[in-house]
Amino acid sequence: MNALADKLRGLRRQAGVTVAAPARRPEPLADNLRALLGVRQRATHPTQRKAMEPAALPGHCIAPGLQLSESLGDWPPMPAAFDAGFARVAGTIAPERLLLFDTETTGLAGGTGTRAFMIGVADWHGGRFRERQLLITTLAGEAAMLDCFAAWLRPDSVLVSYNGKSYDAPLLKTRFRLHQRACPLDGLAHIDLLHPVRRRWRGVWENCRLATAERQLLRVVREDDLPGSEAPAAWLGYLRGGASGPLHRVARHNSQDLRSLGGILCHFAQGAEA
Amino acid sequence: MNALPNPLAQREWQRDDGQAVAAAGGDQLARRLARRYGDRITGAFVLPGREGRYAPLPGDMPPALAQALRCRGIEQLYDHQARAWEATAAGEHVVIATPTASGKSLCYTLPVISAAIRQRAKALYLFPTKALAQDQVAELLELNQAGQLGVKAFTFDGDTPGDARQAIRLHGDIVVSNPDMLHQAILPHHTKWAQFFENLAFVVIDEVHTYRGVFGSHVANVLRRLQRVCAFYGVSPQFILCSATIGNPAEHASALIEQPVTAITDSGAPMGEKHVLLWNPPVVNPDLGLRASARSQSNRIARTAIRAGLKTLVFAQSRLMVEVLTKYLKDVFDSDPRKPPRIRAYRGGYLPTERRAAEREMRAGQVDGIVSTSALELGVDIGALDVVVLNGYPGSVAATWQRFGRAGRRQQASLGVLVASSDPLDQYLVRHPEFFQGASPEHARIAPDQPLILLDHIRCAAFELPFDDGGLFGPQDATPWLRVLAEEGVLHQENSRFEWIADSYPANAVSLRSVADGNFVVVDRTGGRQTIVAEVDFSAAALTLYEGAIHMVQSAPYQVEKLDWDGRKAYVTRTQVDYYTDAIDYTRLKVLEAFDGSPAGAGSAHHGEVHVARRVAGYKKIRYYTHENIGYGPVNLPDLELHTTAVWWQLPQRALEQAFDHRQQALDGFLAAAHALHIVATVAVMAEARDLQKAVGSGDGAWFATPDANGRAQLRSGMSDADAIAHGPFIPTLYLYDAFPGGVGLSAPLYERREDLVRLARELVQRCDCRHGCPACVGPVLAADERGEHSLKSLATRVLDLIAAL
Repeated sequence: MNALADKLRGLRRQAGVTVAAPARRPEPLADNLRALLGVRQRATHPTQRKAMEPAALPGHCIAPGLQLSESLGDWPPMPAAFDAGFARVAGTIAPERLLLFDTETTGLAGGTGTRAFMIGVADWHGGRFRERQLLITTLAGEAAMLDCFAAWLRPDSVLVSYNGKSYDAPLLKTRFRLHQRACPLDGLAHIDLLHPVRRRWRGVWENCRLATAERQLLRVVREDDLPGSEAPAAWLGYLRGGASGPLHRVARHNSQDLRSLGGILCHFAQGAEA
Repeated sequence: MNALPNPLAQREWQRDDGQAVAAAGGDQLARRLARRYGDRITGAFVLPGREGRYAPLPGDMPPALAQALRCRGIEQLYDHQARAWEATAAGEHVVIATPTASGKSLCYTLPVISAAIRQRAKALYLFPTKALAQDQVAELLELNQAGQLGVKAFTFDGDTPGDARQAIRLHGDIVVSNPDMLHQAILPHHTKWAQFFENLAFVVIDEVHTYRGVFGSHVANVLRRLQRVCAFYGVSPQFILCSATIGNPAEHASALIEQPVTAITDSGAPMGEKHVLLWNPPVVNPDLGLRASARSQSNRIARTAIRAGLKTLVFAQSRLMVEVLTKYLKDVFDSDPRKPPRIRAYRGGYLPTERRAAEREMRAGQVDGIVSTSALELGVDIGALDVVVLNGYPGSVAATWQRFGRAGRRQQASLGVLVASSDPLDQYLVRHPEFFQGASPEHARIAPDQPLILLDHIRCAAFELPFDDGGLFGPQDATPWLRVLAEEGVLHQENSRFEWIADSYPANAVSLRSVADGNFVVVDRTGGRQTIVAEVDFSAAALTLYEGAIHMVQSAPYQVEKLDWDGRKAYVTRTQVDYYTDAIDYTRLKVLEAFDGSPAGAGSAHHGEVHVARRVAGYKKIRYYTHENIGYGPVNLPDLELHTTAVWWQLPQRALEQAFDHRQQALDGFLAAAHALHIVATVAVMAEARDLQKAVGSGDGAWFATPDANGRAQLRSGMSDADAIAHGPFIPTLYLYDAFPGGVGLSAPLYERREDLVRLARELVQRCDCRHGCPACVGPVLAADERGEHSLKSLATRVLDLIAAL
């Protein structure tokens, strides 16, 4: 095995490929700790670490490899029923039907090799803003996460996202397909707020990213925000045996995305109350 | 579908026949050329004509399809088309290897359209070029329209606009694409194609003879990935492959798809008599073995043919040569600007609309002479022709036949002429007419398990679908490769599963045309330009892109001004010089492991793994035509290392002492023999000359020999210039090795054919017209270097005699 690895490294060097340093061993401390504690390869005993650090992860475990965090808040407030013409979705929409979502993914490469490790979902439940975040802690937890997410959707749900039509929804569709499940997003109405924002403020703001929209429209300023681009590394680090701390920052980042999504929606809805 | 027995074609022929000038066919021209230029013709033979063998339209074909065929004037099938229908109906994978214009496309069109009509089954077509894909879709649309079949066919390639892609994925019954698109766009996004894959019944791969060597090894792995994705969607499509004539169509097709394949090789299409002439330009300087240019000869033959009223196609090796030959012919035939042009050029780089117009004119018979690059070699429909002239050997016997196949009418003799250039390969082939008779001797080879290629595709496959521990990739257990990728951090192992975890799109980093991705780009800086004009394999870069090198792109000379080794870039400018450059490289081989060995005459032959260390120490400037050495330049580049496979021959000291006066003679003989063996081996495995390399040294890497300015051996022990004296036993070894890290499977077939190779090399040297040796047999020698029986030619013969099986 090592012989093959060595041989391949040699051949690739000869073929002119700049060979990366072998075997990124992230978080050596954790590895050493595991060794000190006599814990064997995590891959073969995935449950052991969880037992050891139950408080370390966001939320609580609802299935092997799947964490759920729930919270209720008062901001953003529930909008009144509104006409969603601004998003080119026909008809009056009751706020109870709205389901806001945002994923955190392993990267932006696209294709079948990119997955969501966190799905954040928000709705107005009993008049209050409810956030639910699903986080997988093992790759095997993905199927349960998809099933749980699918169970939250109703046939009359109206999805709300920021660039979700081109990014989050197709990505989830691919994941459902790879798990040989029907995609529950198919056929649902979808308000992608990026498009009305772009139509109104393109050329006015420096760009139309969510961070810009929330600052301009909601005066939201993020503190200690984990840049979205660092989310993949945080999760990968954990998956490879690293610390769970950065995952909390990912969760906070995702939570802020959801609240801003709600706020921007309210901004448009107010202008279009039915 | 161009060669179908349809009434339109019949009319066309009758009209041709009605013209008085066309009465003289290719046979008469062949006889006339033979009378006038007998000394230039090294081989002449005739393939007899053949009556067509027909079969009725199959009764189990959907009536709408049969109706559509009748509308297009097709009342019956050729025998091989009917057999393809039966074999596909029986669920077999099929390869059809029949000559150009024998109606191969109908062999797959019929089952594919039938399945689309009956079950809305889908088909994926893979063609090597976009032009062929577009032709195919045009044909499908015509047939579809004729019968109102409701079958939707689309091309899907790099030019397909983004908004059309979604519609094609969902609604295309037949998607026509190429291996690169399958590799980079379709498989890594297979979930978007889920509907297509779930209903995929046929995969059609045309021109499979082009999928050989490195490219073929990659394509075989892309097909492994395709079959893996198909299995995920619960389908196992039937494969229909088509090939030009090669020696091993069934074996090659089966190697590509890794399943048993039924071969249909006997064409039922009618064919007129076909005359073939092998033409060597006359010798103008016998000492240097220098001949008149191929261009002058091709021009002369084409002129004669067109004057005789024969529709003529000239194939040239480069775009530049196409333009030059077109000009020469236009000067003769298109001098009156008021008349429509009789001569047309056809090559890549023209706009699609221009190309279509040229094809239309050719089909309509308005053009008398066409000059083309290989663009016309594959199945583009240009109607019937009488004469094909090849200006230079196209690199393989199969391609030669394919180009000759462009000429041929049903009831009239056609002529193909191969005009040899001064290239050693051309010279070899034109002197071996037996290669062109009977079945093609060439075998297409692939090495899908080449370690680096395999690693690349297991990487891509893991991106597409996770692997389970012990999972197979093709016939290979993928686990060790998966562990390597996990160690690299792109895969994550969890329990017994390996899943993709990196934020990258691996297919973008894998080119189907090279082993690993260390290629150099050649950047043209002429007049402030900054454009990429070529790409060069890493392994060839040191030999061709050193500063000062003259690098030929499309036969135009560029000079390398700066080489950025780490950035993998060479900056060049256009230049006008009368010389080319040749790297002086010191290559030392060491045998690591012999897989196999056998006696070879007085010595032995082996096959195994070798370590190659190579340094380019400098270069020579060599004047065109005279091959004079007119200067040297230094090169300072890192040493190259290579683990690869090789075949080698050794002679024991005793045998050498009897045959040669001293070691110098023996080494001269070895180097000269290596030159000859390299030429015949390149032909035997259908390789590019640079993919297979030669070297002479000791078996243990203690010393090696390189030719000096006079073509004589110089012995070296290190990488320095200092000459060294060999100590210990003197066992010279002649190596032919695969120039890619890990090898691409060139050496095993060479070992199998080792006895043939030695025999062919001996014939090559003995039959060469030169006196003492020339680049076409034992390598360049100085005109003054005439030492009779100690000439390189005789020394090479002595070595080859010693290693020839008794």
